[in-house]
Amino acid sequence: MRRARPLLGTYVEIEAHGCADSMLVRAIDAAFDAVARVQRLMSFHDPDSDLARLNRRAAFEPISVDRWTMAVLRQARQMFEATEGLFDCAAGHELMQRGLLPSQDLGHVAPGTFAAVTLLADNRVRFSAPIALDLGGIAKGFAVDRAIAALRGHGVREAVVNAGGDMRVIGTARPILIRCPTEPDGLVPAGLLQNGAIATSGALATVARDRMTGHAMQPATPRGDRKAYSVVAPTCLVADALTKVLVQTGDIDAGYFAQFGARAFITSPAAANVRAA
Amino acid sequence: MQWTPFLAAPAAIMLVAPAAATTYLTAEQAQQAIFPGASFSPAGQPGVFQASSGGVVIIDRVIGKHEYIKFAVGIHANGAIKQVEILEYSESYGYEIREAAWRAQFAGKSAASPLQLNVDINNISGATLSSRHLTEGVKRIMTAYATSLKGR
Repeated sequence: MRRARPLLGTYVEIEAHGCADSMLVRAIDAAFDAVARVQRLMSFHDPDSDLARLNRRAAFEPISVDRWTMAVLRQARQMFEATEGLFDCAAGHELMQRGLLPSQDLGHVAPGTFAAVTLLADNRVRFSAPIALDLGGIAKGFAVDRAIAALRGHGVREAVVNAGGDMRVIGTARPILIRCPTEPDGLVPAGLLQNGAIATSGALATVARDRMTGHAMQPATPRGDRKAYSVVAPTCLVADALTKVLVQTGDIDAGYFAQFGARAFITSPAAANVRAA
Repeated sequence: MQWTPFLAAPAAIMLVAPAAATTYLTAEQAQQAIFPGASFSPAGQPGVFQASSGGVVIIDRVIGKHEYIKFAVGIHANGAIKQVEILEYSESYGYEIREAAWRAQFAGKSAASPLQLNVDINNISGATLSSRHLTEGVKRIMTAYATSLKGR
């Protein structure tokens, strides 16, 4: 059974097999509910989300958040530290400056890094500087992981959850195709994935930042290329987050991939064309 | 986690013909998915169905640069959106696999003829697809519902 709904600004497709239809319907509904919950908690655009409340108030007082939001922030901190700041969710200021995110009620926000985020007891969060977080680089992966957990909780052992290109599979191995950015009519077969996750980023969609100042900057090598930067990992959160790092560095051998049990690769449609010709 | 990269040189897959659509739900299945157990009657306008339990299901489509999507919006009797389901998703292009080693995996296909791969979006990893067109389609329906359909 396969279903698709518009969530997280993209199409979320859930495929599940191996149980009676009535069970699959309940399992898939629960999985979509989990994705919708992540959207409610972590949307930058929704003024009532945990994220919006943090960005408005956490620079002034501790803010209580849902345990799911806390779980994402904990992992974001791990990623920030392991990548020495290359993965940094505190990009809200730059994205607002570029008009990519709304800045209503966020006039106090200044450039900064995730180092300003203090995780307190009882799921409370405080910012030591007036930063704004954007969880766009990690929440989608987390949502896919929660959807898989919901499916498993309903007894499903064979499933794919794909949130617009970030996906996780359980059960039998699946062939994975990579779509290269700006080249939607070219797909490259990449490999077989079993019980794992994969995420892919295009360079054009990613904002690189100066680690020290938090200011947006151009990457060391201009990557306005047509390459796809992919990470395979045990969880979709890790895959999602680490693609954002890979696209900045282009270094598939960096130590943090192994640290998180992940593997990185870069796909180039142009090279493939030449070799196949 | 087990990842087995394809060892052959990356295969180039080129644009060919119209692609196959992924069908998730028929119109009837979508009605039942949104308002389980209800019966439905046409509400006078094409694609609009009144649920016996209250509420309506409206079926429409959006066509983007690269995609065609048929979808259903379920609306509570109070006018709030209950659920949005995608019925069909298709990409406006197809794929031809050029690389011989990859093609050889598909037994029974002639190597001389371009192979049409039935591409499912659940197998494709890529930079995030935007659902903007569909979101706009849902907004359009809600506006139409508010101005003309509601209170019929």
